[in-house]
Amino acid sequence: MRGRLRKWLPAYLLIAPALIAALVFLYIPIAYSGYWSFTEYSGLGEAKWVGLENYRELLTDEDFLKSLWNTVLFVVMGMGIGPVLGFLSALLLNQRVRFRAFFRAAYFLPVMTSLVVVASIWKILLNDDGLINQLIAFFGVPTHHWLDDPTTALPAVAVTSIWQGFGFETVVFLAALQSIPREYYDAARVDGATYWQQVRHVTLPSLRPTIMFVYIIGIIGSFQVFDQIYVMTAGSPINSTRTLVFDLVDRFNDLNLGEASAVAYVLLAILATLSYVQIFLFERRRA
Amino acid sequence: MSGRTTTDPRGGTRMRLRGLRATAAIAVLALLAAACTGGGDEGDDGDGGNGPVTITVLDYYGEATPFSEDVIARFEDENPGIKVTYEAGDWDSMHEKFTVQVSSGDSPDVATMDMTWVPTFASKQIFADLTELSGGELGGEPIEDQYEQGALEAMTFDDHYVTMMFDFDAYGLYYRADRFKAKGIDVPTTWEELQAAAKQLAEDNDGDGQCDQYCFVVEGNDCFHWCELLFQAGGEILNDDHTAAAFNSSAGLSALEFYKSFLDDGSGIYWGEAQGEKIRGIKDGRIGMFVDGPYYMGVMKDGDPEGKGDWGVAAVPYAQEPGSYLGGTGLSIPVNAPHPEEAWTFVEYMLQPEQQIGVFTLAGAAPATTAALQSSELTKPDPYFGDEAPFSIFLDSMATATHFPYVEQWDPIDTDIGNMVQSVMLGKATPQEALDTYEAKVNEKLAG
Repeated sequence: MRGRLRKWLPAYLLIAPALIAALVFLYIPIAYSGYWSFTEYSGLGEAKWVGLENYRELLTDEDFLKSLWNTVLFVVMGMGIGPVLGFLSALLLNQRVRFRAFFRAAYFLPVMTSLVVVASIWKILLNDDGLINQLIAFFGVPTHHWLDDPTTALPAVAVTSIWQGFGFETVVFLAALQSIPREYYDAARVDGATYWQQVRHVTLPSLRPTIMFVYIIGIIGSFQVFDQIYVMTAGSPINSTRTLVFDLVDRFNDLNLGEASAVAYVLLAILATLSYVQIFLFERRRA
Repeated sequence: MSGRTTTDPRGGTRMRLRGLRATAAIAVLALLAAACTGGGDEGDDGDGGNGPVTITVLDYYGEATPFSEDVIARFEDENPGIKVTYEAGDWDSMHEKFTVQVSSGDSPDVATMDMTWVPTFASKQIFADLTELSGGELGGEPIEDQYEQGALEAMTFDDHYVTMMFDFDAYGLYYRADRFKAKGIDVPTTWEELQAAAKQLAEDNDGDGQCDQYCFVVEGNDCFHWCELLFQAGGEILNDDHTAAAFNSSAGLSALEFYKSFLDDGSGIYWGEAQGEKIRGIKDGRIGMFVDGPYYMGVMKDGDPEGKGDWGVAAVPYAQEPGSYLGGTGLSIPVNAPHPEEAWTFVEYMLQPEQQIGVFTLAGAAPATTAALQSSELTKPDPYFGDEAPFSIFLDSMATATHFPYVEQWDPIDTDIGNMVQSVMLGKATPQEALDTYEAKVNEKLAG
């Protein structure tokens, strides 16, 4: 026992700072938040135990249900378009095109830019007198209040997020594409496969782990959308861009730490379930 | 000790190992202690020390703050036992910042507080009882003698003062005086006249029936502007005992219909969250008339200096009776402020006439104490507004202004009313449908 301890002690010592930091700044707050989700608590004084009341409240709370629905819509839009765009641009960049390095850097640039900056720029672009309206007016198309119309506000925010994020997916897919052995394509070509048949029967199956990674990371990130909403619309118009994390922050600002914590745990449960289902489906297919 | 006397040929290694263990244990404990304590900041500002006490002041005024370096330096000179750490913020993020600081036990000693936030924070017992802390006096005189009645009501929650009003906000009508003159438009005094003036002022450059220039601003995402119309039409937001919504009334309906009419007749411009600050539209000429508080005089002078001489301010036209929302900024001391006594000394200092006048001269906003309001500084001709003295307009408006109801659920109710107005302005619901829908929502919130 002592020998084993002696053997692993340096390893424990090396991970101790990170472990302690995670414990203090992550796991203890998570545990506290879990406790608060069963209490009525303003952040000051004693938390009052209310059992499942906060969760029951959320089930009938229109603002919360609207936030949940908006978040699902945002995830569907973002994940329906972002990874596909990323995959297609990776396919293009995987060809022998000129200035490949330039395009790769150009696609990745928005990913490295602060989301707040990106959101601020898109807010200006989408304004009534912004560049987008000026452009469409130039072609004789009627202008639109993109961020002030409840039907277009959420899609407009989703477009911003897709634009900001698909460079990451491009780079991930590109790295995975370059690791697929050339022999697979040679064999497919010998069998007479067209380009799109090669994509379908060689590329996509080989990219399955990457696709899984992109979707898990993407869905988790999309469910946590906040910065863009905060900067571009602040949840308006008529709550049409109010998302789960925005709802959480709003409750926190109203000093309803109990309800805010319950929203956080609902979000955690949704993400854990979705991630589990994705991994389960992936593993089953692989088996 | 035994490590050093061992005869074990591997003793050197064991010694090093024990030394390493001891060092590691100390490092881990130190890390834990540092992490768990969060780094206390007592030092020389602790109550038990002999040095000066340091208080933290959290301010959202921005660059043109009345809490200037000179003002703070003078306070420190007058109060050698108190040092001030000034933390600048901005209005947009102050609510979150204050919430985080208070709930994490890292409260400032004094914070600027938008009066519309007071109901939520006060109902959660976040504020120190200023009646007790002050002994009912401000600068040696009763607090009641130093504010207008409306301000005193706005500062009170559960029969004690929770904030001291530092600047007040009551609405006036800002209008393009140069365009009014050029087009021979009279300054409106009633709703009908306002509607006619807006129609005359507005310009539709592309013939699409919508206003492009010199428009009347319709602000759709807050309670402030529509609630003012509600008050002017004789309505109320909640009933007297604050147990139910009262805005679903003939007054509420006429206020919504009147507000919407500016968009329907092409004289108004909808100014939503996405449009950003109004000053952009003021600068580029899209806005020709809007309703806002005295602080906007400062915003305009800073943001649109070229507009000097083009603008005027008048009393807001009304339907049945003058009325405005009453808001502004209060100075509050959190209940868990480290140094409440010293914080109160600072609040008293900031409410002295000299500092109060700085609210006007430095920040362009309206001071709140009666002593400051009587200052001749405030009635000087203002070249930005055509050498008029617009301050008296806001002062008159304050006399008939009403603060928002002090209920715990005010923040979400405020959001609901904003959504109601927005749904009508954006054509998503008729005024009556919106009133019915949001009356039910507000009642549900009030029922808890």
